[in-house]
Amino acid sequence: MPKVIDLRDPDIEVRKSMCYFCHTNCGVLAYVRDGEVVYIEGDPDHPTNAGGLCCRGNIALKHLDHPDRINKPLKRTGEKGANQWEEITWGQALDEIAERLAAIKDEYGAEAVATAGGTVRTDDWARRRFMNLFGSPNSFHNALLCWIPTFMIETAISGWSPFLSDMENSRVAVIWGANPGASTLPAMRGLTDLHEKGLKLICIDPRFTETAAHADLWLPIRPGADLALALAWINVIIDEELYDAGFVEDWCYGFKELVEHVEQFTPEWAAPLTWLDPELIRESARMYATNTPGNIQWGTSLDQQGKPSGAAIHARAILRAITGNIDCPGGDLMPGPSMEYTVDEELEANEYLPEEQRAKQLGSEAFKLCSWPGYRLISDIAREYWGKAPTAEWMCEANAPAVFRAILTEDPYPIRALLVAATNPVNSYGNSREVLEALKKVDFLVTNEYWMTSAALYSDYVLPIAGALERPVVHNNYGCAASIVTGERAVYPLHERGTDYWFWQGLGLRLGQGEELWPWANEEEAYFDIVEPLGFEVDDYNGFVREVGFYFPKPEYYRYKEEGFFTRTGRVELYSTVLEELGYPPLPQYCGPVENEVEHPELAEEYPLALSTAGGFMPFHHSEEFNIKELRYLRHDPYMEINPATAARLGIEDGDWCWVETLRGRIRQRANVTNAVHEKVVLVQRGWWYPERKEICGDDPFGVLESNANVLTATAEEHCDPISGTWANRGLLCRVYKAEEGGLS
Amino acid sequence: MTRYAMVMDTRRCVGCDSCTIACKVWNELPLDVLFCPVLRDGPHGVYPHLHMNHTPLLCMHCAETPCVHACPTGASRQDADGIVWVEEKGCITCGACIAACPYNARHRDRQRGVVIKCDFCKDRVRDGEEPFCVKTCHQRARVFGDLDDKHGAVARLVNSLRTERLFEDIGTEPQVYYIMSKGGQG
Repeated sequence: MPKVIDLRDPDIEVRKSMCYFCHTNCGVLAYVRDGEVVYIEGDPDHPTNAGGLCCRGNIALKHLDHPDRINKPLKRTGEKGANQWEEITWGQALDEIAERLAAIKDEYGAEAVATAGGTVRTDDWARRRFMNLFGSPNSFHNALLCWIPTFMIETAISGWSPFLSDMENSRVAVIWGANPGASTLPAMRGLTDLHEKGLKLICIDPRFTETAAHADLWLPIRPGADLALALAWINVIIDEELYDAGFVEDWCYGFKELVEHVEQFTPEWAAPLTWLDPELIRESARMYATNTPGNIQWGTSLDQQGKPSGAAIHARAILRAITGNIDCPGGDLMPGPSMEYTVDEELEANEYLPEEQRAKQLGSEAFKLCSWPGYRLISDIAREYWGKAPTAEWMCEANAPAVFRAILTEDPYPIRALLVAATNPVNSYGNSREVLEALKKVDFLVTNEYWMTSAALYSDYVLPIAGALERPVVHNNYGCAASIVTGERAVYPLHERGTDYWFWQGLGLRLGQGEELWPWANEEEAYFDIVEPLGFEVDDYNGFVREVGFYFPKPEYYRYKEEGFFTRTGRVELYSTVLEELGYPPLPQYCGPVENEVEHPELAEEYPLALSTAGGFMPFHHSEEFNIKELRYLRHDPYMEINPATAARLGIEDGDWCWVETLRGRIRQRANVTNAVHEKVVLVQRGWWYPERKEICGDDPFGVLESNANVLTATAEEHCDPISGTWANRGLLCRVYKAEEGGLS
Repeated sequence: MTRYAMVMDTRRCVGCDSCTIACKVWNELPLDVLFCPVLRDGPHGVYPHLHMNHTPLLCMHCAETPCVHACPTGASRQDADGIVWVEEKGCITCGACIAACPYNARHRDRQRGVVIKCDFCKDRVRDGEEPFCVKTCHQRARVFGDLDDKHGAVARLVNSLRTERLFEDIGTEPQVYYIMSKGGQG
């Protein structure tokens, strides 16, 4: 039974912190007594969550005090992977790491040091700043899976990604491969409220999701076939003259070429590719195009399809433009970078990275848009019009699969050190077997972590990292929006935990980067530099959080009518001059899912089912929280979804352990036999590992290869999107069979 | 008079389990006990024409309480405001109330040797706060309040919408009211 805590106790201080068990960053009131957080609750005055907290938010204190947390820096004493460590101080750890990085730089060049990032719980500008000052272009995240190709392609075409939906004034919302009902609950609340008032919802998803169950139209698309659907929607909207003729005439570039190009993409053409009824394609296109103004919601599904990703994103962006649903009330707004506070790009010190080092960025020759060649073009255009550029961290990175391959093959040059923060790459990057091999092989591996993971296990140093309650948090959409939401730390890092800012600053200073280049003693000083230009009368960052908290500029509509769109033609470039200049097709060309039955019939005979690894699900976030027993009690085993007819044919019953296999490997999950998916679709849950297997044995520490969806995903160069370099988590072919009794054979 | 009751708007519930976990964590329940699980019903139908509902559960705080009547020691009690709870020091863990409850809302705490159950977070509620499950719900699918306050949200919803109660026909007069969802596109 609960400890009784009198929250009115005068010794209790309330801190306005923010959760970061996902990107939503809900407001959390933390009640602190004598340096101890005794209670938390959702902040009722927070603009995002208005008091609500999901499963993950509610376990913050379990996370803070978890017995498995690493509390002191660890230095490897045994063989790599032997799990033998010595506890050392931060000072010793940073001294020794800096010394090793300096030696690697001397011998192999700065580019031999790479860093892998994860989802937002870090100061990524600080990481980029360190790398720029160190001289390496090989910083990367899961950025390519997470909206960055969308942002860059949409920015290339329309001057800034129109990702802020003006929901209150919309008549229809398209939820394209996203499931806010199981991922971003504050967004789901907004959709539900507006749906009650008459907003129409179209949900495109291979699975009948929590969100699809609330939609007016559900399009159960074949995984990875979104490009065909987008092209067919454009075809219907043009063919039936549902487009905004005035806007297209005045403000779109290349409409005539588009009309000719999409003539071939009829709903009848798309039907066998998408497995959707042509009439449903027509009905949904009409619903979107005739209920103007409408919006297409933020989502990352198109970013995760590999080869067709870039074209699909381009086609979706065209839909917004030809319906006039852009920069208008009820449409998708282009916030631009903030003119009023310091954006991330201004803290990254990109100007310090020499041209010859930029040219060495891994993967940037093959995949140009989200690396230096494309970023340079887009940031130059942005600077000309907005005066500021998108952040380089996220938008301009080394290609992650190319880095892991460079570790393994030393081609085109060797990577000798990998610094990891906020991710377990074995769970979160594609083709896990290859990633694990790379982590085992790389000469020098440093991990910033909360717990021992399969990546930390092979590290030379593991640094104990503070969680959300132990550090302040700023939410500014990676510097892509003009709004900002802030939270303070509830307590200073417990034990000897530190933050990633300490790590990068500490390394930078030791490597001679100069105190003037790292002028902020802590996060609060840096964040005050971010918010101070807003001009509120506060003395420091915590004062800003308490007195102001957040800042949302009033939405601006029809900015283009005065200034034009911030592209070279001043219009929305349906026909993209930026993509053309980079050597890519200026209009979206059709290509099928990475593996599909139409183009690869022989493969489909062996692997007859279409696979999606899209299954983000409550209460976990990516590979996080699997060791929180209160959450794991709800979802103790991994489940994959399979249609009853298919399961019956394969002799699989509900709950059976099954193998799901692709050309890359196989994983086992239990069968959730459900008609939420098509007969030819299998949908696996992502993120799985087994932190409770503390006895490290064999080649599969913590069972990280046993049920992990990324064992199945495809990262070979020919599977990646030529424009952005993103790899394929969806639209793959697989086969399923029952696991033998006892499981692992 | 005060009569506490809850309305479940299943049109809004998405089965995210936030209430389940908030209750579990903040009431420090044993690992194998949940006071408010959410049942997923579906998807039903013939693919691709489907519907799915979610039914959040908890103690129904019945007006006619089989559990209180079954208790041989008087440890199971109901207060004037309708809240059903267990006076732990009188509980001998005989299990009679567990057997009597048609809603599976009572559980053994094996470690402490008592029966435990949802008490509508009575200490919070009487202090002017909402139960944990209500406070945490992003979807505002759970509405808690005084049914006797005729201008309150609970009375407004119960009287102005068609609601259902679970096992209404067995005469327990449960005080949790469900606004039912069509659960699909129709």
